[in-house]
Amino acid sequence: MLAQIKGHIEQIKGAGATYVDARWYPYEQQNYLLMWNGNLKQNTSSRESGLGIRVLYKGAWGFSASSDLNNMGVLFDKALDNARLAAERVTLPVRLAEKGALQAKFASPCDTDPFSVPLAEKVAFLREMDEKLNQEGVFQRLSDLFFIRKQIVFADSEGSEIEKLITEVFASMQVTGLDSQGETHRREYRLARHGASTRGWEALDRQRFSENADRIVKEMNQVLVADACPKEDRSVILLPGIMYLQTHETIGHALELDRILGYELAYAGGSFVTLEDFGSLRYGSAKLTARADGTLPNTPGSFGYDDDGVACQNTVLIDKGILVGAITGRQMVEEANTRAKRTIFDGSGGCNRATSFYRVPIERMTNINIDPGEDGNLEDIVRNTEKGIILDGDRSWSIGSNREQFHFGTEIGWLVEDGQIAQVVKNPTYRGDTLKFWNSLSAVGDGSTWEVAYVDNCGKGQPNQVMQLGHGVPVCRFDNVRIGE
Amino acid sequence: MKDRIVHTLQELRRYALSKDCEVALSYHEEDSYLIRFANSAISLNTNEHLIRLEITAHADRRRASFALITDLGKIDEMKQGIDTAAEMVAHTQPLTYQPTIPLFTETFIDEDGYDPALAQISNARRLEYFNQAARGLENDEIRLSGIFSSGSNTLAMINTQSEHFQYFKTSDTQVTVVLSHERLKWEVIAEGSAQNIAELDPARLRSELAFLLERYQYDAPQQLPLGKYDIVFGPAATADMITFMNWIGFNGGMMKRGFSFLSEEMVGGKVFSDRITLLDDPDRPETFPFKRDFTGIERNTYPLFQAGVFQGFVWSQDDADEFSAQPTGHTVSHKSLVLQGGNAPVNTLEELVKMPREVDLLYIPFLHYMNIVNPSKGIITASSRFGALLLKKDGTVSVPYNVRLTQSLLDIFGDRVAWLSEACVPYNTSQSYERRNPTAVIVPAFMRVNDLEISHSNASY
Repeated sequence: MLAQIKGHIEQIKGAGATYVDARWYPYEQQNYLLMWNGNLKQNTSSRESGLGIRVLYKGAWGFSASSDLNNMGVLFDKALDNARLAAERVTLPVRLAEKGALQAKFASPCDTDPFSVPLAEKVAFLREMDEKLNQEGVFQRLSDLFFIRKQIVFADSEGSEIEKLITEVFASMQVTGLDSQGETHRREYRLARHGASTRGWEALDRQRFSENADRIVKEMNQVLVADACPKEDRSVILLPGIMYLQTHETIGHALELDRILGYELAYAGGSFVTLEDFGSLRYGSAKLTARADGTLPNTPGSFGYDDDGVACQNTVLIDKGILVGAITGRQMVEEANTRAKRTIFDGSGGCNRATSFYRVPIERMTNINIDPGEDGNLEDIVRNTEKGIILDGDRSWSIGSNREQFHFGTEIGWLVEDGQIAQVVKNPTYRGDTLKFWNSLSAVGDGSTWEVAYVDNCGKGQPNQVMQLGHGVPVCRFDNVRIGE
Repeated sequence: MKDRIVHTLQELRRYALSKDCEVALSYHEEDSYLIRFANSAISLNTNEHLIRLEITAHADRRRASFALITDLGKIDEMKQGIDTAAEMVAHTQPLTYQPTIPLFTETFIDEDGYDPALAQISNARRLEYFNQAARGLENDEIRLSGIFSSGSNTLAMINTQSEHFQYFKTSDTQVTVVLSHERLKWEVIAEGSAQNIAELDPARLRSELAFLLERYQYDAPQQLPLGKYDIVFGPAATADMITFMNWIGFNGGMMKRGFSFLSEEMVGGKVFSDRITLLDDPDRPETFPFKRDFTGIERNTYPLFQAGVFQGFVWSQDDADEFSAQPTGHTVSHKSLVLQGGNAPVNTLEELVKMPREVDLLYIPFLHYMNIVNPSKGIITASSRFGALLLKKDGTVSVPYNVRLTQSLLDIFGDRVAWLSEACVPYNTSQSYERRNPTAVIVPAFMRVNDLEISHSNASY
C-alpha cells in the first residue's frame, strides 16, 4: 500500500504540485462505554480506515479523503483539482518551513492494549465505580471509559516516511445532587497523569478511582448544603481541575499561530496576540513560564511526529511572563515571519495535527504546561492568602472571540480567610480579562501540586476536528479577581 | 444509488436473521464539500465522501453498537460488523429497563429535501458565490474569511423487526462570510442557509456586509458601561439560545436527570412572555426536517410553548423507555424548531437602525461561545461578536466593543420580551462535528428584550 501511495505522490508532483503528503490510517479503533445510574447507556465501538491527501499547488492547498481506496488515483486527482481551484484566490502563497526527510516510528507507551481487554472486564470496572458512587445524596452518577488506538502511516514528497501507533485511555466519573431548592450540583474526577505512567489499560488505577469516588461524593454533599458564592473581588486559587482549562482557553488557544494569523476568524475566533507582541508582550507575571511540550511520554499531547512530519518538541511559549513562542506548524511559521518582516519562529514547532484521515492538519495544542513554581504546596499557598477562594472542577467556560476575556463556572469553592479554609460555597464563578488575569499571578505551586490533565474533546477548525491533548499544571493563585457573577 | 443502499441493508438484515441476531442498522452517507477562506484567500478546499454503518445489537435488555466507515462494496466487512456487535451484546450488562427496537410498519422514503443542483454545485460556482458576496468590500486591511459548505446527506435504516425501511436524503448549504479588520480586529458577518439552489442569495449577504462595514469602518469603537440594556438579538443569537433551550429546557430525559430549568409542574403554566410561541414544525423545509423519526413515528407540528405557556416535554424513544414516558416522535438527529414572529415591522437591519426609539438599543447579532452556567436556572453566558451596534435614542449609531451577557433563558424569553419581528428567517445551526447533519432554526429577524444585564465589557477587541 505504501509503495502505491508513494507512486501517486510522485505522479501528482509530476503534474505540477510543489508538495504532496498522504496519511493512511490502516485502522483507527474507538470504544466508548458510559454507565449512568447503573445502566450501561453507551456501549459503542467503531473501526475505520482510509486515506487523506494534501496537495500544494501554486501556493494553495487542496485536500481529499476517502475510506474507499479502490480508486486511489482519483482521490489524488481530486486533491490536485481542489488545489487548482484554491490557487485562483491566493493572497500570500503557502510556503512550508524547511524540515528534513525523516524515516521514523513512534509508539505511545502502552503495556496492555485496551482493545485486547475483554468487554466484561471493562463493564466490571464501570460497575465497581458506579457502586462506589451510589451513596447518600447522589441523584445521578456517571462513569465512562474511552479508548482510542490508531495506526497512521505518513509519507510526503520530500521523502519522509513515518509510522505511528497511538493508544489513549480516558476515564471519568461524576456525581450530581439536588440542593434544597432543586438546583443541580456536580463533582467530577477524571483520569490524570501522576508521575510516571503509560497510556494503556494499566493507566486505570482502581485504587485511585475508588478513593476519588469517595472524595467527590463527600465534596458534592458539602456543596448541596453550602451558601452561594459571594459576588466580590478575591484571590482565586485554582486547583489543577480548573487550572488546566484556564491554561487551555487563555494560553493554549490564544497562542495557536493560525488563530493569531486570522485563519479561524470565521468560526472559533482570533487572538488578541499580534505578531509584534512576540518577544515583548508581558503576558503574565514573572512567575509564569508556559510551554508547549510534546515530549512528555504519557499524555495525548505527545505523538512523536506531527502531521507535517515534524518531530514533537518542547517549546517555551511564555518565559517569566514574556511572550516568546506559539503553537506552530510548517505553513504558519513561514507566513508569520513573512508578514512580520522578521524571523520570529525558527522552524515548525511540530504542532500540526488532524483528528482523522478525513480532516486536514491544523495547529493543535500538544501539552500546554505551566512550569511548577517555588511557592510551596497548596497548604503553603492557602496559608499565605488573606482573602481568597480555592476553586476546582470545570462546570462551564465561555471565552471572548479573541481570547481576551473569559467566564468560568466551577464545581466547588472553598473560601479562604486569613490563611485558613473557612467554608464551602456553591455555584462559584469567576471572570476576567486574559492579560490582567495572568499578570495577577501571585503564587505558583511546586512540583507536588503539578499534574497532567487530559483533554479528549478540544474542538477547532472547519470542518470541525476534535482533538486529544494534555496540560501539566500546578496550583496557582491570582489576585483581585471578580467572583460570583 | 438508493436501490443499492436498500439492497445492501436488506442483505445485511437477512444475514443478521440467519445468525439469530436482533439488530438495527443505520446507514449514513455524506458527500461533503467545503471551501474555507481566510485572509482573503482560499485556505482550504476539501471534500470527503464517507459512508458509515452503525449496527446496534439487542438481546433482551442488553444493547451494544458497532460503527464502521465503509463502502457499499465491502459487504463482508459489514457482515463482520454485525458479528462484532452480536459478540459485544453477549458480554454487556443488561439495562434496568426494556429498550425498544422500533417496528417499521411501512417503508418511508423522503427525498423532498434533495436538490441535485445544490448537492453537486461546482467548485467554480462556489467560488463565484463568494466573490459576489464580497465584491468590492475587501481591501489591504479588510480581509475576507468564511466557508461555503455544501453537500448531500443520506440516512437509511432497517432492523430485524420488519422488512420495511426508512430512507431520507437531503442537500444543504451553509455559508458564512466574514470581513475583519486586520489591525483593528473587528469583524462583521453575513450568513446564508439553503436547502435548494434557488435559495442561494449572495446579493443579500453583500448588502448586509456593506451596511455593517459603513459603520465599522468609520466609527471608533467604544467600551460600554456595565449595567442594564435593552437588547435586540439578531437571528444567530436567538437561534443559538433556542438550541440551548432544546438541550436544557423541554427535553424530557434531561429534565428527569436534573439538567433542565423546566419541571413537570410547569407543564400547562405560563413560563415565557405571551409573545413566545415555539414549535417543532417538520413541515418547514428550511429546517432540513425529518417527517418520520428514527423509530418510524410520523412527525407533525408539535407545540412547545404557545403564547408563553409550556406545552410539554419531548421524549426520544430511549428516554421514554427509561422513564416510562410516551415517545413523542423526537428520536431524530435534529428537530425543526420554529420561533414564531411577532408584529414589529422591523425585518432588516436597515429598518432596525432607522426605527424610532425612546431609549438606546444594543443590537447583538451573534453570541459567541455560549455555555451553561446553571442548568437548573437556565443561566447561560456568552459574548457578543460580529457586528454589534449601539443604536442610540437620538438616531445615531455607534460601534461597541464586545460585551458579556450572563442571564437566565427564563428572563430572556420572559416578560422582558418587548417585540419580535414579523418576518422570520432560517438560521443554519449545523455543526460539522463528526457526521454531516444539516440543521436550521427558524427565528424572527429580530427580538427585542428589555433590561438585560451586561456583566463584562471589553476595552478592546
